[in-house]
Amino acid sequence: MDFNSLKYITKTLILIFIISILSDRIFFSVFNKISDKVLTGQTIGKLNHYIQNKETLDLIVFGSSRANHHVNPINILKNSFNMGMDGRKIAYSATLIKLLPRNKEQIILLHIDPEAAFSQDYLGNDIKGLSSKYNRNDIIKHEIDKLKQNNLLQNLYWSISYNQSVLGILKNYFMPNYDFTNYFGYDPIYVSENQKKIFSKILQRDKKISNCQDRFILNKIYNDYIDELIDFCNKSNKFLIFFTSPKFDDKCKNDNHELRKIFKKKNLNYYDYTNLFKENNNLDYWKDETHLSNKGAQLFTKKFAKMLKLNQ
Amino acid sequence: MLFNSLDFLIFFITVFIAYWVFNKNLNKQNILLLLSSYFFYAWWDWRFLSLIIISSFIDFKLGKKIFASKVVKQRKRWLLVSLIANLGMLSVFKYYNFFADSFVNLAYIFGWQPNDLTLKIILPIGISFYTFQTLSYTIDIYRNQFQPTNNMISFFTYIAFFPQLVAGPIERARDLLPQIEKNRIFNKQWFKEGIIQILVGLFRKIVIADTIGSYVDIIYSDIEIYNSTSIILATFLYAFQIYFDFSGYSDIAIGTAKLLGFKFNQNFNLPYFSKSLTEFWRRWHISLSSWLRDYLYISLGGNRKGIKITYRNLMITMLLGGLWHGSSWNFVIWGAIHGLVLSFEKYLKSNQKLKFLDELNFLGYPITFTIVLFAWIFFRSQDFNSAFLAIKTIFEFNFSFPFIANISTIVNSIIVLSIGILFDFYLLKKQVHLENFATKFSVLKIAIITSIIIFLINIFYSSSNNFIYFQF
Repeated sequence: MDFNSLKYITKTLILIFIISILSDRIFFSVFNKISDKVLTGQTIGKLNHYIQNKETLDLIVFGSSRANHHVNPINILKNSFNMGMDGRKIAYSATLIKLLPRNKEQIILLHIDPEAAFSQDYLGNDIKGLSSKYNRNDIIKHEIDKLKQNNLLQNLYWSISYNQSVLGILKNYFMPNYDFTNYFGYDPIYVSENQKKIFSKILQRDKKISNCQDRFILNKIYNDYIDELIDFCNKSNKFLIFFTSPKFDDKCKNDNHELRKIFKKKNLNYYDYTNLFKENNNLDYWKDETHLSNKGAQLFTKKFAKMLKLNQ
Repeated sequence: MLFNSLDFLIFFITVFIAYWVFNKNLNKQNILLLLSSYFFYAWWDWRFLSLIIISSFIDFKLGKKIFASKVVKQRKRWLLVSLIANLGMLSVFKYYNFFADSFVNLAYIFGWQPNDLTLKIILPIGISFYTFQTLSYTIDIYRNQFQPTNNMISFFTYIAFFPQLVAGPIERARDLLPQIEKNRIFNKQWFKEGIIQILVGLFRKIVIADTIGSYVDIIYSDIEIYNSTSIILATFLYAFQIYFDFSGYSDIAIGTAKLLGFKFNQNFNLPYFSKSLTEFWRRWHISLSSWLRDYLYISLGGNRKGIKITYRNLMITMLLGGLWHGSSWNFVIWGAIHGLVLSFEKYLKSNQKLKFLDELNFLGYPITFTIVLFAWIFFRSQDFNSAFLAIKTIFEFNFSFPFIANISTIVNSIIVLSIGILFDFYLLKKQVHLENFATKFSVLKIAIITSIIIFLINIFYSSSNNFIYFQF
């Protein structure tokens, strides 16, 4: 290759690098300002809401959609918040718990699904849900890096932090979804007729053979995070409670049993409500086999609150 | 190694630098290309490299033998050896289980209950593509359209050249081999075009195709529980998913080759802007459709033996074209639908009494798109029953609100799909091919456009799936 061509390539690549980095940084700083003002919506609003209020809350619920849609926290304690989110598991929740203040007494309800906890395939990729704060919060950055869930290019292009969330943020910036001052993180499911039909069709189908696990070794990420949370909660005045919410028809019982044993060994509080509705089930309680409708969720919360009060 | 992975980025930068360092020595440059192509393939599974090497070796030798034979019968015999060797390997690895399974099912119908004859066979990635590529070499020599090469490295590089090894475009020996055997000079224009095409390809793949694919996957993985609207919406999105996925892959392949000084033929030319299925096949997967036309349809007699034989030839070509995509009856049916409609179009064209239909030409766009959409149902469904169920549900006309799994996914899908379609409209209006889109751009303009695409990719990209055409 002649010198001129080399010069041309170098010039083009340097120019691409400078312009792309410059536009990336401008976007990132402008968008930080916008997103910080967004306190509604699942994309970032709920996370901002939590970060803003975390130091004053008395009770916080963490976990997946099964925590989010199943527990109405104000029916348990007045000053509370449900930080459950779709698709989130222990890595996401534990990282958020680690952001809590050290000296305030707080109750933490952490939802856990036994099959997820025993699955050896779990790599902690739900933590990517926090990547919008990757370049802005050291604890979050440390946890994402620790699980090797960072996009290497994110160190170069910071705008990757807002991957897939730009539209949601803009929408909630200009048209907030709800009044966040009256929002406690619980998102009830009101089942539409179409969803009811879909669920009925699923139930009418031939039952698939359940693929239950037969090896019950806690996933390493789950195990490590549970130990870290025990340590964190002991040192930070937190009361940690694990729970599993109801399922329509749980075909694998052994995992619940094994998880209970593990929690007992670790001296942890664990409430397993998987079969809560087994005896008096009703289709109106459900959206699908793992998600309760608002009706079912209110019943479950009531039962859960009663149990917590009994044990206080 | 996937084009949309960091592994490939590192791999390509290394190859690019080393490649242009060896600029003055063609042989060294080709050896580097060959070794890096084998490394690229071995990254997926090194064991199947042997298949590529065997296939290359057989056709390298047979090409010479065909050329050296003066008697037609002998030339035919050597060509037959090439066909049997290549198609034999393809049949074993790709079609054995399909035929064994079909045989067992057929036997059941007649009351015979043979044992399961299927075997655990891994489909070597790219086998359909490089088999067609190597066959074009021996067939062209047989037809006296091309002379064999004496340089083994060049020929092996032609078969294994990494930008097109695993999912095409299927480059003909007469197009690519001369480029391999000739000194390449760094071309600034190609560099600009290549960079833009790679990034547009990446955008098409990891932004558009992967984003809309998530909805398609949900609906098609459980087709029986959704209503007509959901299935129509998923099929519509799938039409664009497969287009942007595969054209995106081709764009990256063509762009990558350009950065190394090679020019590939265009593989997609805005196929959904077609007013007939015949036109669609001139714009969709051009390297495959032209391969099927030149080596199958024409070999069968094309349209030279009367209209009935033309229909037969079209049907055979499309049925085998369907089967090329995958070893399932769904692909055969997909090919049959295309074959039938192509034959019907031929009939309309040949019948003078139906000339008045030319005035309804404008209806060709929606009709063609609807036919293509209908055929995609077979292409996407997991099996024949699912396809049948999807069609049955559509014709139940239950047009209530579609299933929305995640509203933000749907909104993102609409936005990125709109960007993709608008860009295609722009290319159509300007009558420019993506391959030449950046030809006249200044360095500054290239840098600005590149930065915009990088930015859009960063904020919209979806977690990557495999390229759809890898399975073929």
